Amino acid sequence: METIGNTFPPISTGKVVPLAPLTWRERVRGLRRAIWKHRAIYLLMALPLLYFLVFKYWPLWNTQIAFKDFKPTLGVEASPLIGFKHFATFFKSYYFGQLLGNTLIFSVAKLILGMPLAVILALAIYESSFRFLRKVTQTMAYLPHFLSWVIIYGVLLALLSPGSGMINEMIKAGGGQPIAFLTSPNWFRTVVIGSDIWKETGWSTIIYLAALLSIDPLLFEAAAVDGASRLQRIRHISLPGIASVIVVVTLLRLGNILDAGFGQIFVLYSLPVYSVGDIIDTWVYRQGILEFQFSLATAVGLFKGLIGLTLIFFSNKIAKRLTGSGIY
Amino acid sequence: MNKQLYKLTLCVVLLSLFLAACQPAAAPTPTAAATQEVVAPTPEPAKPTEPPAAPPPTEPPAKAEPVDLEIWVGASVSEAGQPPDDWAVYQIAKDKLGINLKIVLLPTAQTDADAKINAAAAANDLPDLFQVNREPWYRLVQNDLIATVDDLLPLMPDRTKILYSNDISNKLVTIDGKLYGLPQPGALPRTDALVIRQDWLTKLSLEMPKTLEDFTTVAKAFTENDPDGNGKQDTYGFCGYIESEGVGLLPGLGKRFEWVFGAFGLNGAWNLTSAENFQLNVRDPNYLKALEYIKSLMDAGVVDPDWPTLKKDEFRARWKQGKCGIMNEHFAALANKSNYADFDKNFPDGEWVVMSPPTGPEGKSSMGADLTNVRIFAVSKQAKDAGKGEAIARLLEWMEGEEGYYLIGFGTEGVNYKKDENGFVTTKDIDPEKAYTHKSQQPLTQLRNMVFNNNEIEMKARYVAYKTANGREMDPLKYLEQYRAQPWTEATGWSIINPPPGGADFTRFYSENLVQFVLGQQPLNEQTWADFLAGLDGMGAKDYEAEAKATLQISGFLK
Repeated sequence: METIGNTFPPISTGKVVPLAPLTWRERVRGLRRAIWKHRAIYLLMALPLLYFLVFKYWPLWNTQIAFKDFKPTLGVEASPLIGFKHFATFFKSYYFGQLLGNTLIFSVAKLILGMPLAVILALAIYESSFRFLRKVTQTMAYLPHFLSWVIIYGVLLALLSPGSGMINEMIKAGGGQPIAFLTSPNWFRTVVIGSDIWKETGWSTIIYLAALLSIDPLLFEAAAVDGASRLQRIRHISLPGIASVIVVVTLLRLGNILDAGFGQIFVLYSLPVYSVGDIIDTWVYRQGILEFQFSLATAVGLFKGLIGLTLIFFSNKIAKRLTGSGIY
Repeated sequence: MNKQLYKLTLCVVLLSLFLAACQPAAAPTPTAAATQEVVAPTPEPAKPTEPPAAPPPTEPPAKAEPVDLEIWVGASVSEAGQPPDDWAVYQIAKDKLGINLKIVLLPTAQTDADAKINAAAAANDLPDLFQVNREPWYRLVQNDLIATVDDLLPLMPDRTKILYSNDISNKLVTIDGKLYGLPQPGALPRTDALVIRQDWLTKLSLEMPKTLEDFTTVAKAFTENDPDGNGKQDTYGFCGYIESEGVGLLPGLGKRFEWVFGAFGLNGAWNLTSAENFQLNVRDPNYLKALEYIKSLMDAGVVDPDWPTLKKDEFRARWKQGKCGIMNEHFAALANKSNYADFDKNFPDGEWVVMSPPTGPEGKSSMGADLTNVRIFAVSKQAKDAGKGEAIARLLEWMEGEEGYYLIGFGTEGVNYKKDENGFVTTKDIDPEKAYTHKSQQPLTQLRNMVFNNNEIEMKARYVAYKTANGREMDPLKYLEQYRAQPWTEATGWSIINPPPGGADFTRFYSENLVQFVLGQQPLNEQTWADFLAGLDGMGAKDYEAEAKATLQISGFLK
């Protein structure tokens, strides 16, 4: 008889021993014993747990200032409650539509364009049979991740400046007119998305490479024996093998959909491109932090968090239904 | 065994992490050696100007517990670090004044410093005494986080006489008749003006431009006629950048184009000539004409096209590389030894001369807005309530006395500086490595902005005349003298105007549109201009003007 999955060996006596239901006390004792038995593991877990409690959960208590007219002298609890006024201020602010649009454009574009490129690069590195070339490519691809946006701004200026940038020099040499990449609303988004992809694609491959390495090599060997070409192996083994990781990464990114990269935009944007570059976070910095409106800044933060949470919740459900894997 | 050891190590690591996290930051403990280094200053009979030699009037109570004072201050030299732990000032503060001093340097970028102070304020954890820009200062006063300091002035009579007796400066920190800050003299006024490459003018046989038309002609020639003779068209008539700092609440195009607005009789964001004329300058039809002129320069391609995105340092790198023919630059950034060295090396025959602001169609000209600046030092309400006001006054009074002034301004006499026969500070015969101007010694003078009052001693010490590597005689103060001889528009009241109603959105709308107009990103004509003004009104410009007018009239800046 054909069996599917793991089967337990038959109990030798053939008798079924009924288990008495555990009392509450016994359960607690059992848990205590289990914790004590694995105390080293629990101790190890204590620090990250503490980190989350202190830096992630405790601040949640303070998010109540989003609904209050926060006065530092009165403190968080005693500041007067004003309801949803700060949310209304944000939604009714002059540039709200533009900020939301820009934020979503940057975020979605970085996700949609960045992720496939990272997967392709990871596959290319994994498939490469030249060890030296693979290592060099990996190192070179990781390197930009470690450069700060301030440095990359310098690099971009040297490349794109209409006055003396290398690319504009080439355009001029070809008889074209120089392009103000960094100050032209037509080009700014391309520069932002392009530079982000350039900086982060290499680093993003790490997780996909790790997933590829976890695929059983026997599958590849069996496919090769069966005459599958390299592309067929990628299509039928590699991609399905890392599909769950792709789903998880995408879901996690969706949670931060309204984070379009403050550090990058803050360094790269300037007055001529505010209309296409200003995002929610740069607005919060100017209107919330610099104008001493912390309640407003918190309200926006809360709004972003709620949108992220909702997206994660629904997309996780959809992902589970479609692919059978999710993040929880 | 191994398992036990592993668990024990883990526990120790965790415990030490907790302890490290819970331990408060230790205040620097001055060493005994530091005290010995302090040379008691000998009173100078002949001094060119202040500071006074008077000792601090108030001594700490004989056996009182030392008071902890935390001060946040902007670094005087941005690239140098914190004063060392064995800084003599710490020991003197402890021994003589009964104060445990802790100094924290603020980030050098203005917005970063604002963000740091705002964050501390939100946690109701402001330091006892701190330097703060006017916009955040105003908001902190509104939130009742800053204490009044009127009662501290009698406790520091000498300092008050030297620094806090200027009516205009005091007005800048006065709200409802009360002083909410100590107005330390700010950056020097009238320090940024037009300079032009005289060697390029000579090479192309051009006259010094006198009018806006001349300016365009010269700028075109500098761009198109290869003034540096390298065979490439890689120079620009005019270079600039948009600074976000030090230009008031409505930066617009920044300071670099102020001379154009001056040619149309408009400087800064506001018309401050009289209560009748008071309004945002953009309402004046001449403002549109000024923008049209700037746009004509952009269209002609004579302005470095990177100007809207360049940071200050990159702009400076460009003129040092010989890319710019005319610019609006700070006198010290141009002529101080370390700043001029690269240009001197690259262009031994290059010469920057001061250029008068070109005249406009009605014969008007002005280099820019002349503002009295102050660096505001505020006392937190928390500190005042804790009874620290007297200790703050004691410290500040000592700082402005002979001992404090020289120690904080120039280091230790005989080690870091000397005084010449006229009482001026010099580093002659001082070990160059120990001179107060040497990079390694700059942390010793990080607080000099808390004592300096722009007197002759400081000016001579800070802006030293020298001979360049190519033998050119340079004197930064001569540049400053010529800058100041140019026509300027008095606009001090500008500093007192509070932030606009819509805050950052109003500022963005104002500045973004002006930049877009001159860059041609939106058409500049009567209709679009009217739309822009209507947009401003829609954001509350009229209310803002009325409020600003009332503030100026109450403080007496507008008659």
